[in-house]
Amino acid sequence: MNPHPLIESLAGIYPEGRLLIHPGELASFESDGLTSYRTRPAAVVIAETQGEVIETVTLCHQHGVPFVARGSGTSLSGGSVPVKDGIVIALNRLTRIVRLDLTERIAVVEPGVINLDVSKASAASGLYYAPDPSSQQICTIGGNVAFNSGGAHCLKYGMTSNHVLALKAVLPDGEVVQLGSESVEGVGPDLVGLFVGSEGLFGIALEITLRLLPRPEQYQTVLAAYHSLEAAGNAVASVVASGLLPGAIEIMDRLAIQAAEAAVHPNYPKGAEAVLIVELEGEAEQVAEEYKRLEVVIRDSGAYEVRLAQDEADRQRIWKGRKSAFSAVGRLSPDFIVQDGVVPRSRLGETLAEIKRLSQQYNIRVANVFHAGDGNLHPLILYDGREAGAHERAEKLAGEIIRLCIRLGGSITGEHGVGLEKRGYLPEMYGEADVDLMWKLRCAMDPKQIANRGKMFPSGASDGPQAARATGLHPLEREGIISRE
Amino acid sequence: MLRPTTIEDLQAAVREGGRLLPRGGGTKPALSTPTEGVTPLDLSGLSGVLEYNPGEFTFTALAGTRVAEVQALLDSHGQYLPFDPPLADRGATLGGTVAAGVSGPGRYRYGGVRDFILGVRMVDGNGDVVYGGGKVVVQLHCAALQETMQALYRVYTARLDVDALDLAPETDGSATLWVRLGGLPDALPARAERIRAMLGGGDNVTGEREAWLWREARDFAWAQPDWILVKVPVTPKRIASVETLHATSLRRYSAAGNVAWIASPESPQSLDGHLSSVGLSGLMLFGPPGHARLGIRTGQAVERRVKEVFDPQNRFSET
Amino acid sequence: MQHTIPVDRVGPAGEEMARAVEKCVHCGFCLPTCPTYVTLGQEMDSPRGRIFLMKSALEGGLTVEDALPFVDRCLGCMACVTACPSGVQYAELLTPYRARTEKSRPRSFTERLARTLARETLPYPGRLRLAATTGRLAAPFRRFLPASLSAMLSLLPDELPPATKPLPRTYPAEGQRRARVALLAGCAQQVLAPEINWATLRVLARNGVEVVIPDGQGCCGSLMMHTGDGDGARDLARKNLRAFPKDVDAIVTNAAGCGSGMKEYGLLFKRQPEEAEGRAFAARVRDVSEFLAELGIESPPVSAPIAVAYHDACHLAHAQRVTEAPRQLLRRIPGLTLLEISEGELCCGSAGTYNIEQPALAEAIGRRKAQNILRTDAAMVVTGNIGCIVQIRASLGRLNKPMPVLHTMEVLDRAYRGMEN
Repeated sequence: MNPHPLIESLAGIYPEGRLLIHPGELASFESDGLTSYRTRPAAVVIAETQGEVIETVTLCHQHGVPFVARGSGTSLSGGSVPVKDGIVIALNRLTRIVRLDLTERIAVVEPGVINLDVSKASAASGLYYAPDPSSQQICTIGGNVAFNSGGAHCLKYGMTSNHVLALKAVLPDGEVVQLGSESVEGVGPDLVGLFVGSEGLFGIALEITLRLLPRPEQYQTVLAAYHSLEAAGNAVASVVASGLLPGAIEIMDRLAIQAAEAAVHPNYPKGAEAVLIVELEGEAEQVAEEYKRLEVVIRDSGAYEVRLAQDEADRQRIWKGRKSAFSAVGRLSPDFIVQDGVVPRSRLGETLAEIKRLSQQYNIRVANVFHAGDGNLHPLILYDGREAGAHERAEKLAGEIIRLCIRLGGSITGEHGVGLEKRGYLPEMYGEADVDLMWKLRCAMDPKQIANRGKMFPSGASDGPQAARATGLHPLEREGIISRE
Repeated sequence: MLRPTTIEDLQAAVREGGRLLPRGGGTKPALSTPTEGVTPLDLSGLSGVLEYNPGEFTFTALAGTRVAEVQALLDSHGQYLPFDPPLADRGATLGGTVAAGVSGPGRYRYGGVRDFILGVRMVDGNGDVVYGGGKVVVQLHCAALQETMQALYRVYTARLDVDALDLAPETDGSATLWVRLGGLPDALPARAERIRAMLGGGDNVTGEREAWLWREARDFAWAQPDWILVKVPVTPKRIASVETLHATSLRRYSAAGNVAWIASPESPQSLDGHLSSVGLSGLMLFGPPGHARLGIRTGQAVERRVKEVFDPQNRFSET
Repeated sequence: MQHTIPVDRVGPAGEEMARAVEKCVHCGFCLPTCPTYVTLGQEMDSPRGRIFLMKSALEGGLTVEDALPFVDRCLGCMACVTACPSGVQYAELLTPYRARTEKSRPRSFTERLARTLARETLPYPGRLRLAATTGRLAAPFRRFLPASLSAMLSLLPDELPPATKPLPRTYPAEGQRRARVALLAGCAQQVLAPEINWATLRVLARNGVEVVIPDGQGCCGSLMMHTGDGDGARDLARKNLRAFPKDVDAIVTNAAGCGSGMKEYGLLFKRQPEEAEGRAFAARVRDVSEFLAELGIESPPVSAPIAVAYHDACHLAHAQRVTEAPRQLLRRIPGLTLLEISEGELCCGSAGTYNIEQPALAEAIGRRKAQNILRTDAAMVVTGNIGCIVQIRASLGRLNKPMPVLHTMEVLDRAYRGMEN
């Protein structure tokens, strides 16, 4: 018998096999897409119904035990890393598409539904779900909602937040709320917008109403190769200045290309220091006209090779290279940090030059993959964790890049969220009063601070962010709440 | 009436005590006319574009800045606000537009006002200045609330050309469908033709008349001045339930059937009952004060919690 | 992922295992292609979860028993390897890990019995034929038997095909000889579907390939290799190293599982005296479809139109990366329309002895595959592995939607012979 009273209560809800307490069952839940953080939870519950989730949250609130909602565990900011002695609520079996109304163009889904499955379910009607994180074949809508996930095509269509119309959610104290409506318009404060991107701190979404869009009639995917990263960066500025708003504008540098080639063989142009992917999409006539304009811009941008995707398979190959890039970098280096920062588009060139300088200064390789159209950078910092001090140096370099983003008027995260990884930087981007207000909001939604405790704010303790301010990275490590390898 | 001209004055006014109702251009009287015991807080003294970066498609302006002023500035760089802020020609301010959360016809294609806000600096109910959001296109999430003080806007894309179609389906002539297309000039005729073929007819509207048409829609020039005007979020399928309820009113459906603008001679109370009975919510722009929100209200548990954080002493009145 | 696996103390393949762990970046891209994960929806039944569990057990953070149930549930289909962007060679972790832990594992009597029965019969055609016959006699008592034994019985065909005449030592090429290959005759397949070998011989001959069927060959050993019996596998493999001639263009097999096993002989004999020999042998192994596609085949004559769904056998598609070759061959048949099965990367649930050891899961996975097949409107299923043929036939049968399930070589053979497909 487990002495923990909460676990005894949970045993009243979950049958054997769905309340996991043995080490072999718990171990694999220790980390998510950010493996440098690991915490073994006290228990994992495999929920199958919304009712079970509500009951579990209510019990956690009664017992004051922290919980973390977990989808596919693909967070790159440690957003779904468990809390020590806390509960993990696994939502992978809440996969019902509750309603698919193709005339109203909405899908009502449970949080465990996989992002791409929404598009698959609506494909027969020519509709799809627009936000496309690179992990879209596995990441769940629940996680997308928590972290306001982006993706390559968010340049034109916006992030998750722009595609969630309504939510049914359980707040951390067990209250069930209904936010928003099925219309794209609303009245009163935008409460859906408040919940989306709250990183699991405001509770668990149980039913999410998503907006579906008609699949673009035509895609025109252009792949341009450059002899320098700066030239590719400047091409982005030219495309944007031309008045075009493509579906996506992406850049990969030499290292990222090398990794992608090794992994999925997208067959990018040989010898490129950088490739630029620009995708036009929409009505056929419009795309044809836009392409005429784009062609001139790209021709004048110094690309040494320009290719057009010949068919859908060709297009998918180009994108597969891009979307596999993060994981593919695992082929180049045993360890790496995926950074996620934003800078104003006009300062992209300057930023890349500075990252290059930092990379040389630290003697650490940095691969660059980014959503160039909206200035969202993903420098991948490569290191070998077996070398003494390598991880610390890599983290220091990652920190310098993030501070660079802040300095240039950007943001500490574009789409991966603050999570565990960037908690220390929140007070650098926001003033004291701003962080305090966020904290008050957190407390109003979750009086006992049990929902995803320890994330986003620079302290996991319940005494507020002031206590941990300016104490550097990851105070939870010192408190023994989390650990890393 | 309080009319601060600096942020410090505004903070002082809020800290002073008493209930306040922020007001910009006063173009939405149902939202800006104070009820008994509430002091109007005129923000027109906090006006002006602080920063404009055409290359980034962003600008920062104080909340009391008139939308029309911003539009003129953007136009000089071939840019615009694609969500068609309503009532701009009548003097609406940025703050009022954000606080009311209203968008015009362009929101269908490009997203509504909230999708263009990158960050907000505001004075909360304690009189403290707080900031949420960023200045870059992708950013940390932030909720735009009524206490908006200063907003950053993202201007979307350069305006290339505009064309319009007036489509009168031959069925019964009781409704007119307006479809607006924008994009590269050379592609427009073919695209317009495609829509005409789909609908089985329709005339082109261009030039002055086209401009007038959408201005009329944005400024609600079609609504009777002494009637109430209410925004009701709907979906195409819900239009039928709105139609059966309001025989005496004028209705315009915007954003591909996602918003009903209802102008009605009825009392707010009567419309409130109607909306509740069909499960819809409304926001009144024109009409008497004290009835801003009509019909059903969802998410009140969360709204209450948010209000307690931003305005614990209930300084700001809803109308 | 970082690890502290004591590489030198976890067996001869310690480095390979450590490298696989190291390569894993925990991105989760393998999850949607894993049959147990999509069926059970829990992290420990995913490739990413299992890597973590094996790593922890090798490091000493977990006991072998802690991780065992989840490692056991892996089908070894290797769909995760195909999906993995960072290049984790999962087989190089799983196979040696299983070999290492097999000895120390506790198994119940019936588990051991079922496993022994499977391993002592499947590789030996004579024993299998006998067992199948006795098995059918036992069928009425199925409900008294433990699940795994019962599952074994349920997969047996109602009637075994008649034993055909023994395979010849050589089968001559028709017309001018373009190549000479050695064929692995296989074991279970010889009893369950002897026609496949004959079809293979005829198709090869038709395309100018002379085939030798070496005496003294036996089971390829992959069944044992993949269930953790390294020593047993090596005993069988040694026989083949001796039996197969070196003067052929290729060693050809028509069973995906055998092909994948023989291509792993290099790893199997890692740090053993036969390592070099094993490597050389592995380098010459080709699936018959792969070999024929490289060689180029003659078009069959025009026949009646038919729509077929091609099922990628895991051991062909994921373990050997052969997906295009069989499709290319099938497309050469005039009148044949090739349909793709959605979730095509998912295993059918056969996976060697899996349907005997994890009957309930195998049945659920098989049902999903059958449902996906039925959505294609195909009149026939074609695949390149006997295990898949048996499992898919059984799964379609359980849904009361039987349809022909044939080997790629059988379909080609029929087309060449002008038979209705």
